[in-house]
Amino acid sequence: MTGIESATGGFGSGGNALGRDNYLNHERGIKSWLLTRDHKRIGVMYLVVILSSFFLGGIFAELIRTKLLTPGNSALMKADTYNQMFTLHGAIMIFLFVIPGIPASLGNFVLPLMLGAKDVAFPRLNLASFYLWVGGATLALVSMVTGAVDTGWTFYTPYSTTTNTNVILMVAGVFVLGFSSIFTGLNFVVTIHKLRPAGMTWFRMPLFLWGIYGTAIIQIMATPVLGITLLLLIAERALGIGIFDPALGGDPVLFQHFFWFYSHPAVYIMILPAMGVISELVSVFSRKHIFGYTFIAMSSIAIAVLSFLVWGHHMFVAGQSTLSSMIFSFLTFMVAIPSAVKVFNWLATMYKGSIWLATPMLYVLSFLFLFGIGGLTGLFLGALAVDVHLHDTYFVVAHFHYVMFGGTVIAFLGGLHYWWPKMFGRMYSEFWGRIGALLVFVGFNTTFFTQFVMGSHGAPRRSYHYQPQFEAYHRLSTIGAYILGVGFVVIAVYLIHSLLRGRPAPANPWGGATLEWQASSPPPHDNFASTPAVGDPYDVEAWTWDGAVGGFVRRTPAEQPAGS
Amino acid sequence: MTAGDGRNGGRDEPAPIETGRLGMRLLVAALSMLFAASLVAYGLIRSRAAVWPPAGMPHLPATLWVSTVLILASSVTMQAAVRAVRAGRERALRAGMLLTTLLGVLFLVSQTLNWFALVAAHLTAKANLYGFTFYILTGLHAAHVVGGLIPLAVVTARAFRGRYSAEFHPGVEYCAIYWHFLDVVWVVMFAVLMLSS
Repeated sequence: MTGIESATGGFGSGGNALGRDNYLNHERGIKSWLLTRDHKRIGVMYLVVILSSFFLGGIFAELIRTKLLTPGNSALMKADTYNQMFTLHGAIMIFLFVIPGIPASLGNFVLPLMLGAKDVAFPRLNLASFYLWVGGATLALVSMVTGAVDTGWTFYTPYSTTTNTNVILMVAGVFVLGFSSIFTGLNFVVTIHKLRPAGMTWFRMPLFLWGIYGTAIIQIMATPVLGITLLLLIAERALGIGIFDPALGGDPVLFQHFFWFYSHPAVYIMILPAMGVISELVSVFSRKHIFGYTFIAMSSIAIAVLSFLVWGHHMFVAGQSTLSSMIFSFLTFMVAIPSAVKVFNWLATMYKGSIWLATPMLYVLSFLFLFGIGGLTGLFLGALAVDVHLHDTYFVVAHFHYVMFGGTVIAFLGGLHYWWPKMFGRMYSEFWGRIGALLVFVGFNTTFFTQFVMGSHGAPRRSYHYQPQFEAYHRLSTIGAYILGVGFVVIAVYLIHSLLRGRPAPANPWGGATLEWQASSPPPHDNFASTPAVGDPYDVEAWTWDGAVGGFVRRTPAEQPAGS
Repeated sequence: MTAGDGRNGGRDEPAPIETGRLGMRLLVAALSMLFAASLVAYGLIRSRAAVWPPAGMPHLPATLWVSTVLILASSVTMQAAVRAVRAGRERALRAGMLLTTLLGVLFLVSQTLNWFALVAAHLTAKANLYGFTFYILTGLHAAHVVGGLIPLAVVTARAFRGRYSAEFHPGVEYCAIYWHFLDVVWVVMFAVLMLSS
């Protein structure tokens, strides 16, 4: 690989392809999008629907927080509406946004590019997965209109089998979404196994792909268990008899076991791809090779395996035996080890790097801070005695928002800003990008740190009324939610603005060494004119800024100083 | 080396056989978890009951053995079809595929007769958990057999139109993976149902 031409994918002038043939203008018309088998277009379509779901779930969150400004009855919504509101907030955010978020949108776009491949292994199945998502989401939305569910997103029996809201339709929607998830995971596993280019061994694969791989394994093995659980729930509601009914010799706690056997691994479906994103970004924006590659890769697999063994920690107060609670508690603590391995390796990557505080890196720093708090408070909840006090309080709410929002959503935003120029060929405003990241960070901590304090004082979650002693905390938390809302409006505005008016992006605006940066921005329909040369995915120091090109270029070996 | 040469040709071309087989195996792994979880649920419900079947309820019909023999036979004919197409013997492929499809249909007929017999003996899905679990388990399996018969019929029709050769026969290979899986699931499910009652 020599010179600028080949380093920028052969497109010259920085590798921007907006005026030329690229995947966005290769075919025109709505049909060419709806029937596409191009992983990049499918990724973009996922991005649109997933962000729409995030918007909807966010509206519900703002309404809930607004009600909670006052402890008593509220003119904004009645108690029953409030129950439906937090259920929908949870169900939409979990099943429509966080679970598919990073793998289906960013993963779909980036995975084949990172492999130097033309597409995923099964392009048609990929499109089918997208429509399964749309079908499942439609069922869920119809259930909202015809009798929004008020069970909480966990659908616990016996309430879910007796409430008169439209549980069957909502659960059927989640069931269909599960198929989408399984097929996406299957597609990604096969793609990673079969489409790696010559020279890319398992341990020369970008770490994002290790994260996606671990996620996909959980999707394939755990989602079917949710599927059967939901089918049994539907059968119980439809037939009026079922295995979760104690009157007939069944057991409602069985539902909890089955539900969490999926839904705890699902937490790692949400966080593993996020960790993969962070592994990419931290190296690129520290301008330094990733530290401890093998440990980061293997810890993804360790987390995926452990994720199947800790579901019982959701049920410490559900009457399981003390012995099983102790075992689940111990295994829960074990998860902290691979998680901490990752965090320390990221910190070691930053150590003595030349840290570049661009927008994506601000999200990396946010992630490290917030995921640190989220992870460590998980240990509080994993300790049996402490959990009895904290169970069903705002402490739990704060904990999982620190992991799911502070972890996954922040990493999603980081990844979105990192790959945005590749996806759309345009740069966003760096100034507003930093303002947005700051607002999200401040807003998030104001909202949820407050809830840790409130929860440790015993404030119960999910209740419409609350004790006046918690009013100050609730008010502060709501103010935080508004700041967060403003932050997202800012982000939406400058990202949409960039689509129309943004500066054309070079092929490699950040100096990444993974293969997607060798395609033009945006990439052509078939990704690469010729398979790019596979090298060390973290050899970021070999890429330097070239003002003439307006992007990063790879130094030819002759230019590199001796010994580098 | 051009993009995708051999690794993936075009978005509309069928995936290479090894890629497709890996995909099918992962699908089977996912469905195995579905059946494993349903059998675990059955086992837990069974272990909580003192008498199984409950007093006054019929035992499972002996004709379930007929279903078992039918699906085992269909696995044998399926494997014969795979061997035939790998050796390029087209007539044997057609016979194998046709027999497999017929045996699959007969299995469903046999299962339906079993259900009718139980309903006639007043064991419905709404009667008690004994009935509920039986219908859910066998119904879940039957749904997957229906799902398998569709591609089986398509592949059989293609075999009769001479679309497969020793070099190119992905449909036959994929059907075989799925069909043997259905066979194994039935045998395990049948054993669990019989041994627990």
